[in-house]
Amino acid sequence: MSIEAINEQLLRAIGVGVALIALDTYAVRYRNDTFNEWFGENEGASTVPDFFPSLDLDELKTAIESGGKLTTETSFKLRRRKMTVALEFNRADDASENIAVLVCQNITRIKELESMIDSYSMMVERNTHEIKREKEQVEKLLLNMMPRAAYEEYKTFGVVSPRLFGPVSVLALDFTDFDALLSENEPGVVVSELNDIYSAFDRIGAQFGCQRIRTNGDSYVAVSGVPDPNEGHAKAVASSAVRFLRYLERRNATHPIQWNARIGVAAGSVIGSVVGAQNYIYDVFGPTVSAALKSRSAAQPMTLATNQDFARQVSDKFLASAVTGDTKPFENGFALIEEIADQDRKG
Amino acid sequence: MEKALFDKYGGFSTVSKIVLSLYDRLLEDDDVGPFFDDVDMPRLIDHQTKFVSSLMGGPASFTDDHIERAHSHMDIDHLHFDKLKAIVSETLADFDVAEDDIKTVLSAFEDRRSLLVEKPNVN
Repeated sequence: MSIEAINEQLLRAIGVGVALIALDTYAVRYRNDTFNEWFGENEGASTVPDFFPSLDLDELKTAIESGGKLTTETSFKLRRRKMTVALEFNRADDASENIAVLVCQNITRIKELESMIDSYSMMVERNTHEIKREKEQVEKLLLNMMPRAAYEEYKTFGVVSPRLFGPVSVLALDFTDFDALLSENEPGVVVSELNDIYSAFDRIGAQFGCQRIRTNGDSYVAVSGVPDPNEGHAKAVASSAVRFLRYLERRNATHPIQWNARIGVAAGSVIGSVVGAQNYIYDVFGPTVSAALKSRSAAQPMTLATNQDFARQVSDKFLASAVTGDTKPFENGFALIEEIADQDRKG
Repeated sequence: MEKALFDKYGGFSTVSKIVLSLYDRLLEDDDVGPFFDDVDMPRLIDHQTKFVSSLMGGPASFTDDHIERAHSHMDIDHLHFDKLKAIVSETLADFDVAEDDIKTVLSAFEDRRSLLVEKPNVN
């Protein structure tokens, strides 16, 4: 067998479609078996446009003349399957004849794989997105239950160790006649209003560096100085407390349900920790918290009460006076304070 | 929780091969194939990828409602359903999926027969 014959056998047998194109007439002068298998259905076809009607001949001509080469793709159906074949026209280095070699590679599988990867990555992306959203929701919930620093500790170590924070200030608030308020109004309305009010307190507190620790029915407890130290903790809670009352006064003037709060504040140290093995709740404890609760029960409706120690700490901004009225005895000399030299009132 | 078949058999690396093999067989089959005559390749591949992933507990899942709606315009007989079931079984076996696991997959598949074949909404 001659070399030429071997070459021709090889050319016929390979899984690549090969054809020779006369560039003057676009006649297909030679085509191998694979080429015929893919494009040979049309018996009468003999020129490039017969085989590839969608091919732009001008583009082919320009590309061959300038770079000697054109790469493109064509698609067709083989039975039910969409086949994609990459076409490469190369001008032959033969000065005597103006011909090009057309090489056709079957890239159907590559296209199918590309589609599958697209499909799969979209599924994975959607899942990742969902997981991220769920994670954010969990984080938001946990941040409602504990300060960010405690949350970070919990996330890293799986536990939050109890810590002593001091000096800090504690604010405790409740509403007088809350039970009556509940029995006289729709529970849904009461809860919705309470939600509005607590949200407003959270916003006001945040402005002064005060953070809500817990609510329990009509009881609202916030601190300043936990977990990040705050030098002005006493003024922060006192200023917040005064504005809580002012907010309620304004609200009561335009709403049918009257919310009358009592507030107690105290300064000292507290222990902060997550409590509960299953139901995690961040809480603060200690004598300072008890002192704030005690002051609260001594307070008249819509007033703010505290002990002498706290009153002294904020004396440059708040005026203290003895608590009046028939309140329970308050041992350490109790004081009612009102803001003086208030920036807001000046302005 | 028991490990999903998707992970047990090597995740997407194996599933991708199963998908392509299933795709080849479906198109070749003269009973099931005609359903896909006018479906674009990317759409069909997308469908098969999700189909196999969901059968094997991968990152895709369809509600029965979704499955029913997607097939409501097709005229599917028991013959077609059985044929597809056989093809799925054959393909999984070729990729060395254990017999018990194939049974699990096929029974989940069988559970949806009424959604596709009987289609009470149409009649």
